[in-house]
Amino acid sequence: MDLINHLFLGFSVALQPMNLFYCFLGVLIGTLVGVLPGLGPVAAMSLLLPATFHTTPVASIIMLAGIYYGAMYGGSTTSILVNIPGEAASVMTCLDGYQMARKGRAGPALGISAFGSFIAGSLGIFGLILIAPPLVDFALKFGPPEYFSLMVLGLMILTFLTSVSMIRSLMMAALGLVLGTIGLDNISGMARFTFNIPELLDGVGLVPLVMGLFGISEVLLNIELKVKREIFTTKLKGLLPTLEDWARSIWSILRGTVLGFFLGILPGGGAVIASFVSYAIERRVSRHPEEFGKGAIEGVAAPEAANNSAAQGAFIPLLTLGIPSNVVMAMLLGALIIHGVTPGPLLLMQHPQLFWGVVASMYVGNAMLLALNLPLIGMWVQLLKIPYSILFPVIILFCLLGSYSINNSTTDMAIMLVCGVIGYLMKKLSLEAAPLVLAFVLGPMLETALRQALIKSKGSFAIFFTRPISATCLIIAIALIIMPLLPWFRRRRPGATLEREDVT
Amino acid sequence: MKKTFLINDLIWIGISVLVCYGGLKLGFGSFHQPRPGFMPFLSGLILGLLALIDLISGLINHWPTEKRDREIWANINWPKLILTLGLLSLYTFLFSTIGFVTGTVLLLLFLFRAMEPRPWWVVITAAMITTAFFYLGFKVGLDSQLPKGFLGL
Repeated sequence: MDLINHLFLGFSVALQPMNLFYCFLGVLIGTLVGVLPGLGPVAAMSLLLPATFHTTPVASIIMLAGIYYGAMYGGSTTSILVNIPGEAASVMTCLDGYQMARKGRAGPALGISAFGSFIAGSLGIFGLILIAPPLVDFALKFGPPEYFSLMVLGLMILTFLTSVSMIRSLMMAALGLVLGTIGLDNISGMARFTFNIPELLDGVGLVPLVMGLFGISEVLLNIELKVKREIFTTKLKGLLPTLEDWARSIWSILRGTVLGFFLGILPGGGAVIASFVSYAIERRVSRHPEEFGKGAIEGVAAPEAANNSAAQGAFIPLLTLGIPSNVVMAMLLGALIIHGVTPGPLLLMQHPQLFWGVVASMYVGNAMLLALNLPLIGMWVQLLKIPYSILFPVIILFCLLGSYSINNSTTDMAIMLVCGVIGYLMKKLSLEAAPLVLAFVLGPMLETALRQALIKSKGSFAIFFTRPISATCLIIAIALIIMPLLPWFRRRRPGATLEREDVT
Repeated sequence: MKKTFLINDLIWIGISVLVCYGGLKLGFGSFHQPRPGFMPFLSGLILGLLALIDLISGLINHWPTEKRDREIWANINWPKLILTLGLLSLYTFLFSTIGFVTGTVLLLLFLFRAMEPRPWWVVITAAMITTAFFYLGFKVGLDSQLPKGFLGL
């Protein structure tokens, strides 16, 4: 009964005209940045963060969340039509989506991608509604040792799942922790590594860092490519998948949904990993594995469903524990804090209208996306025809002005450029930026939790192993470090699978 | 020699030494009473140890081949890359002095023209329209304090 009351509250908030408008704006911008290669949801959210200062916390979070799951929808369009993923979570959609398009089945590929995303998104929200409230009660038992161990586990999971080389991924996480210490110390107020630059007293900004590492570096990489994009000019028809398409895809969608949702919940998991793993599983369970990579509709349905449900699942650790599970959630954490809302177990009690309003808006947003994606595909295709030589100066300008507008500071622009060059070199050397950013965001929280726990235990590290939740998290984290050392496991590690996929 | 990867690890080890030194200067404290340098020292130490492990394992057998090492730098369009970075640095450095409108129009003129030869009238029109679009978005829409510069634009 409580659940129905809460949902009623949520929809009454989400359906207010202002919130509906921001939801629409969010999913529209999300689809747009998902369609445009080089500009992902993180960059878009960074850019629009200052714009949300003028509105209510509920409306701003509704819009920013809309950008995230909207980008998941939009990313599939470029993957299918151009063989270029609009954002990272759509990489796997390229493999079969583009092949379907080459065979004249772009319509059903786009259709199943949109319907699969809708089904997964809706079921993901249902999961969020069911899991989040009990998890809040559980999270109230958390103290500094538990928070520290959970954040360590999140970082370990991310490095374990995403990277080809776990050592290098861990190196980037360590670098993120170092960067996170720049600025005033949370406990003593002492300035650290600021080099007498006043702008660094507040630390390195998340927006310049993220825009540099993800936005500018991507543009710099694209400058050296001489690939000419091939876009299908034939009129798209038959967007509705046939009954046979549905029969082949429905179980893939459901499997992708469940898998994506749980991978989304895991700190360090997320939409990208969910889409990779779901594709690998589909190929393994399929009766026609030889069709994968040649235009199997299951190869489009499963990763699209997985990345959308993961996008919903990722909200759970943020809204219940106050821990962002990925970079996008870190942006949302920043937005909540700016609005004076502290994410964590008390959020549900102190701001129920925000929690349930955002949850209900996701359902509304998913319905809007279905309406946007199918009829407006032609318009998105037109956008793809903009030459990259026009597009890339615009993306660069977005990043420069986005960094500047946070504090009206050219130092932030300079930091972003430096991060862009570092990000470019990192990509060249196969160093992952995601663990760096997640560690950078979690770093200050992790440090505070570690120091508080050590002060409480009078310097004994036993506190992390004598409390059950903390001990469980740390044991799993240690196991994740040890497992890649085992020769049998090294060949089967998800990172190794990604490497093989990449090569093929 | 697989120089790129060797240099990469050595740089990370160097950075870790500097961070650890900085951490110690800030004050490590003790496990009982950690001070501001505690976390930087630990993070720097972890970074250095991991880079050392990567270096040793790379020296033994895990580094990519020499061919892969060469491939990393083979396809780079150096003139375009350096031109782009140079222009962006100049734009950032002069942003407050020359102002948003003048600076952005000039930057876009160079970038549009440098990336692909197009008629000047197309480049000028595109630069003006894009600048106007950004002005509306950031100045009017987001109320950003964009600098006017010496021309007062």
